[in-house]
Amino acid sequence: MAKIEFPESTRKRLEQIGSADLLIGITGAVSADELRAKMGAVFVNGSSFSNIVVAFAGADGVEDFAGDTDSPFRYITYPLLSQDPDSVPWGEMGISQRSVLALASSIGAQVCLVLHADIAALQAQSIALLAQPVIENKCELVTPIYPFGKYEGLINSGILSPLVRALYGKRIRQPLPFDFSVSTRICSRLSQGDQRNGYTGPSLVWPATIPAIESAPISQAYLDVQHPVHTDGLELSTVLAQLAGSVFLEMETHAAHWQRVRGSQPTPLWGTPAKSFMHSEPVDARPMIDSFLLGSRNLDEVWRFVLPPETLLELKRLTRLAPEQFRMPDTLWARIVYDFALAHRLRTISRTHLLGAFTPLYLGWVASYVQEVAAASPTAAEQRLEQLARAYEENKPYLVSRWRWPDRFNP
Amino acid sequence: MPESQVIVRKPGSAFDPLWFKDAIIYELHVKAFADSNNDGMGDFPGLMGKLDYLQELGVTCLWLLPFFPSPLRDDGYDIADYMNVHPNYGTLEDFKAFLNAAHDRGLQVMIELVINHTSDQHPWFQRARLAAPGSPERDFYVWSDTDEKYKDARIIFTDTEKSNWTWDADAKAYYWHRFFSHQPDLNYDNPLVLEEILKVMRYWLDMGVDGLRIDAIPYLVERDGTNCENLPETHAVIKAMRAAIDESYANRMVLAEANQWPTDVRPYFGDGDECHMAFHFPLMPRIYMALRQEDRLPITDIMAQTPDIPDNCQWGLFLRNHDELTLEMVTDDERDYMYLAYSADPRMRINIGIRRRLAPLLDNNRRRIELLNSLLFSFPGTPILYYGDEIGMGDNIYLGDRNGVRTPMQWSQDRNAGFSRSNPARLYSPVIMDPVWGYEAINVEGQQSDPSSLLNWMRNMIALRKLFQVFGRGTLKFLNPANRKVLAYIRHYDGEQVLCVANLSRFAQPVQLDLSSLEGMVPVEMLGYVEFPAITKQEYPLTLGPYGFLWLELQPPREPVDVQLESEDNHTLQVAGASDWQSVLSGEGVEKLETILPDFLQRQRWFGGKSHKIQSTRIADWGSFENDRSAFAYVDVKYESGETETYLLPLSLSFHDEAAALLASAQNAIVCNVFSPEGTGILHDGLLRDDTTLEILRIIEDGVEIRTHEGVIQGQPSSGQATMTGNHKQPLTPRRSHAEQSNSSIFFGDRLILKVFRRQQSGENPDVEIGRFLTEKTNFKQVAPFGGFIAYQPKGEEASALALLQGLVGNEGDGWQWTLEELDRYYENCSSAQLPPPEVRSPLLAEGPETATLLEKASEHVGLYLEAASMLGKRTAEMHRALASAKDDAAFLPERMTTEDLVALCNDLTEHANVAFDTLKSNLSHLPDDQVEMAGLILGRRRILIERFRKLADMEAAGKKIRVHGDYHLGQVLRVKGDFVILDFEGEPARSLQQRRTKQSPLKDVAGMLRSFSYAAFAALNKHIARRPQERQQMEPWARLWEATVTSAFKQAYRKTMGNSQIVPAQAFDSMLEIYILDKALYELMYELNNRPGWIRIPLTGILSLPL
Repeated sequence: MAKIEFPESTRKRLEQIGSADLLIGITGAVSADELRAKMGAVFVNGSSFSNIVVAFAGADGVEDFAGDTDSPFRYITYPLLSQDPDSVPWGEMGISQRSVLALASSIGAQVCLVLHADIAALQAQSIALLAQPVIENKCELVTPIYPFGKYEGLINSGILSPLVRALYGKRIRQPLPFDFSVSTRICSRLSQGDQRNGYTGPSLVWPATIPAIESAPISQAYLDVQHPVHTDGLELSTVLAQLAGSVFLEMETHAAHWQRVRGSQPTPLWGTPAKSFMHSEPVDARPMIDSFLLGSRNLDEVWRFVLPPETLLELKRLTRLAPEQFRMPDTLWARIVYDFALAHRLRTISRTHLLGAFTPLYLGWVASYVQEVAAASPTAAEQRLEQLARAYEENKPYLVSRWRWPDRFNP
Repeated sequence: MPESQVIVRKPGSAFDPLWFKDAIIYELHVKAFADSNNDGMGDFPGLMGKLDYLQELGVTCLWLLPFFPSPLRDDGYDIADYMNVHPNYGTLEDFKAFLNAAHDRGLQVMIELVINHTSDQHPWFQRARLAAPGSPERDFYVWSDTDEKYKDARIIFTDTEKSNWTWDADAKAYYWHRFFSHQPDLNYDNPLVLEEILKVMRYWLDMGVDGLRIDAIPYLVERDGTNCENLPETHAVIKAMRAAIDESYANRMVLAEANQWPTDVRPYFGDGDECHMAFHFPLMPRIYMALRQEDRLPITDIMAQTPDIPDNCQWGLFLRNHDELTLEMVTDDERDYMYLAYSADPRMRINIGIRRRLAPLLDNNRRRIELLNSLLFSFPGTPILYYGDEIGMGDNIYLGDRNGVRTPMQWSQDRNAGFSRSNPARLYSPVIMDPVWGYEAINVEGQQSDPSSLLNWMRNMIALRKLFQVFGRGTLKFLNPANRKVLAYIRHYDGEQVLCVANLSRFAQPVQLDLSSLEGMVPVEMLGYVEFPAITKQEYPLTLGPYGFLWLELQPPREPVDVQLESEDNHTLQVAGASDWQSVLSGEGVEKLETILPDFLQRQRWFGGKSHKIQSTRIADWGSFENDRSAFAYVDVKYESGETETYLLPLSLSFHDEAAALLASAQNAIVCNVFSPEGTGILHDGLLRDDTTLEILRIIEDGVEIRTHEGVIQGQPSSGQATMTGNHKQPLTPRRSHAEQSNSSIFFGDRLILKVFRRQQSGENPDVEIGRFLTEKTNFKQVAPFGGFIAYQPKGEEASALALLQGLVGNEGDGWQWTLEELDRYYENCSSAQLPPPEVRSPLLAEGPETATLLEKASEHVGLYLEAASMLGKRTAEMHRALASAKDDAAFLPERMTTEDLVALCNDLTEHANVAFDTLKSNLSHLPDDQVEMAGLILGRRRILIERFRKLADMEAAGKKIRVHGDYHLGQVLRVKGDFVILDFEGEPARSLQQRRTKQSPLKDVAGMLRSFSYAAFAALNKHIARRPQERQQMEPWARLWEATVTSAFKQAYRKTMGNSQIVPAQAFDSMLEIYILDKALYELMYELNNRPGWIRIPLTGILSLPL
């Protein structure tokens, strides 16, 4: 992970600013006027901080803002670094988040609040919920809980969240958040990235990993906001490869730590679950089961490199089930994720091919899940995901043993 | 420092300054690794092409053997140009490209600098031989007109060199060389040499090299009359190099090659200001020896001789390297054994060692190879792998010098083992081709595709080791199971604990490990993450297959998945303010406090019940003082064994800054948090507050009475207390003693000491009682004057003492420390003595002319301590006479030792002895190997020793019973202006007050002090030997001489001062004293077995040295 280098204009502006109590970083390009108006509206009652810097992606042109002496805010822009055309939205977000953290770190902001560029959705309450616990030194990181429906955010619910929970022992619902706040200490650590030898880690920011490793207090806040994610035209396999690939790389980096973590702990929760949490449209599982079946025919050879015979046998059994009976047991799914993480580390096959072969399995899990919770209330669906997360934890010794002694001659 | 002066040190590629502690180093020769241009010789581009392989293997640091321009008469260790790359291996640009590529992969690079000597082709030497004698150019090397200088320096390459001097016809002088004659030694007495060598170092470090391996470091400087190794001048050169490196570079490392004993290598670490790393040479042959003998002793023995090193330093460990398996650091017998065991063919031997690779040494046995690698990876230090050993490459003993272990790396079955596409005849060395070791059977490609290959095993082991910093950074503690074929040790670092067990035998072995101190922990086998049964108090049984090994991570018991984030807060008390003791010590508050106290007590140094499990605590009584700012609380502690003890706990409440200061400085003394309207505060040990301690002093001075709920606390000043305290309008400043004791002591200025008795026992406290008696009723002045005390009188029970006030005696330290310092000097002097000391078998010398002569001779060495021992003997006798001087005080009146007393004493001592012998017997298997024999001898004498107690019953005149000190040893006396003051009459704290007040023979005290001399002699000896383990046998007779002569001086003075007093037996003095000494030594043995196994040797030696 390359260190963030800012252009001369940003560096000069940083020098002018000097320091800040709170840095609010918008992770993307926004209209400067709109942002100023929004800041005024959100902070209509003032803030406990007198020294607030607002950062956003954009070209040089911030001097107008800087000259606005009536404003309680000072503004700074950072360049939106060019992206790989094949990149998915999270890649762009990751780089922006890291830029914001680097800005906050360089001026020693006591609190850094990282926000999605969807400023229309910005609410005073969301900012308070995210920032206040860090401002009051009650914790060093606040991550959001978004009001997802039971079929939404399933890469997160089926892979990222339970995996991060099992690995690092913190029950974080959104380990790869659009919005979060961190203390100055964690901000500095996150903006440094991993300076260990030869580390070429993920470009995405996993804000909970470092605090979990350093036992820094973490909170979560219920936010009543859903940010649009533009995935039109993107292959699921591309999205999955980036997100799962990133969390697998993070695993490799912190292997010495997570292998010592046992069990998990909940975090304090701020706010109340949003009402929009309740609504979901029905989903047809058939196409996903078809993808799984297709994968089992075409990718069998790759799976055999990655998965042990018992798992392959169970997958074979699944292919024989009638679609309405299609259920993937939690243990099976957790072990599949663990085996792919291990193969990713060992480079058993090329990582691109590996993550490509993961997609039909993921769709198989999604199909199983949506069928299982089709008639369930949102609360019951939540409980179902909690059950899955426990399966990840219970099967963690399987991961550790495979990781430590990756012998292919296993059950 | 002004900003303009800030020096930015150039960082290395590693982030952590101690990266080398976690490293896995891979040693390779560029020449032998991979040939990119098909000229038959490996090169840097070839090596670059193999970096993925090395990264995949998991090694983290590459150590390159010399690659500089050289005539290659010693495989590159004869450097002709320090600042370039030998053209055979590529160019300087190739090296830089390799360096960057390695860094990109997270690999550090260490290069080899040979700075002791150069090639005779080096321009410096060519210039020197032609330069005028005495000129700076000439003085780059060491010249002499004669080959007689430095005659005490050994010849290292005995097979080829006959002298360390070689005549140079051009220079018309001899030049000095410790190695081959074509490798003249540089002259570090010439400052220009160091300057040039530093330029060389900077050149490579500037390029980004992470580490420098300094070859032949002990030989840098020569001095006549020495063996020219490890000289102080050499260390001065190394320090200068290190300082220069540290000044300009960060996160770099210097590794010393010093083939010496660990104690001689230790100085190469300096105070962390010489080399970061040094090889542990003697360990390597002993690992092979232990394996062949199927006995752990060679390993445990050399590790016991390995001194501690500074925190920022590290040992370098290896199984094999590019040189022969050196046998310089073994005894002659061991060397013969190694030759017989590992080099059947004489061609396998070279110089003083064996030129074979790892796998052939182990007869290509996979289990043996794995076992030795498991030791390499789990011993304290950084493992160093030699290229090719990861695939089990063989050697070629038919090649000359050490070239048989430097053959081309075997990459595949292709031509030339995939090392080069050149004509095979052009290779720098033939590849190995025989059917067992040949490249067709053993190569990287084949092993990469074989999941069960040694290569894959090594890769997994390396990855596993890298997950645990404990291996690189942790402490090492050997276990001593009875089965010596099993090596077991625990590594510990920052909360991580790993138990390693290795079977050195070719057959399966059972072992029982004493892990009782780890009761409750769950061993988890690290390779497979397999949970083993939890550890209990019982011995932990394991069975290991042939050459099997286990790495077990010790984890706390697994908790259920659902852990509540915040359990109910049981550790905070609600109070109304700083004087609200009702809320703390009654009602709900006290219920909560009583659940908190067990943890608190276990943290206190003064708490005597640490070895017991506390079942419950109860506040038995309390009373507030200091205007309710503090309170005395009496805590009843009930143990699971059913026993109960009472402890005194002065308590205070503090808030705000005062609380914050205590939180920062005295965490252990904090009982719990409190909440009050004043804010958050703490409940803590009251003795931490100055005002509280001053108030306790006032209680004594003013005779203050405090009503408790169940009794009365009353201060009682002595008659001389006011004089002792003086007119202190300025309050005396309190300070706390940090000595580890069962009581808590507070000093007031330089005048007073207040001893607060923590464990409370009903009845008169002997410390108070004897201190008051000696001060107020006798003329004996060599005690701390009694100043008063605080008594606690509970309703309907006997009173007890809460605290004792005494005058503070200015001193030069306690007798123990002072004696150890004297002994340090004594051993230093004896170490260089020309003649061995007179032989002494027992510390109890019979009086007579022989002893007198011995004392006279010994006084030359023991010096002033003999006078001190005499003085102490005299004071001890005076103390006993004073204690026996009472005329009307029943507690002190001397009594005749009756036959019944002697029989009772005999039974008592016999019972103690039997317990001690039984304990020794049951602990036999846990003793270090060298002490098993001593213990066996003692157990063999059990009957004879116990028989000795029976003599008591037959004694007719055994002297009198008087009050004695009761716990008399060097730690209980103070050295004061050439004299001694005797302290602490409390007796042995583990005994009841009644037992401590019992009248006894004064010889019990005498025996206590004589055993203390023995402890001092051997404790100081152990310290001395830790630095110089090879001196153990030489120095032990000196220790015995010291003990015997000091004992004799003490005893003579004691008896002389006793004169005709009837309180000690005249005839039976020696035999009764021996009995008390035996009893004391057995008591010590029990104590050490239970508490300090590392000290067992001292009482064992003491018991064995008693006359039979």
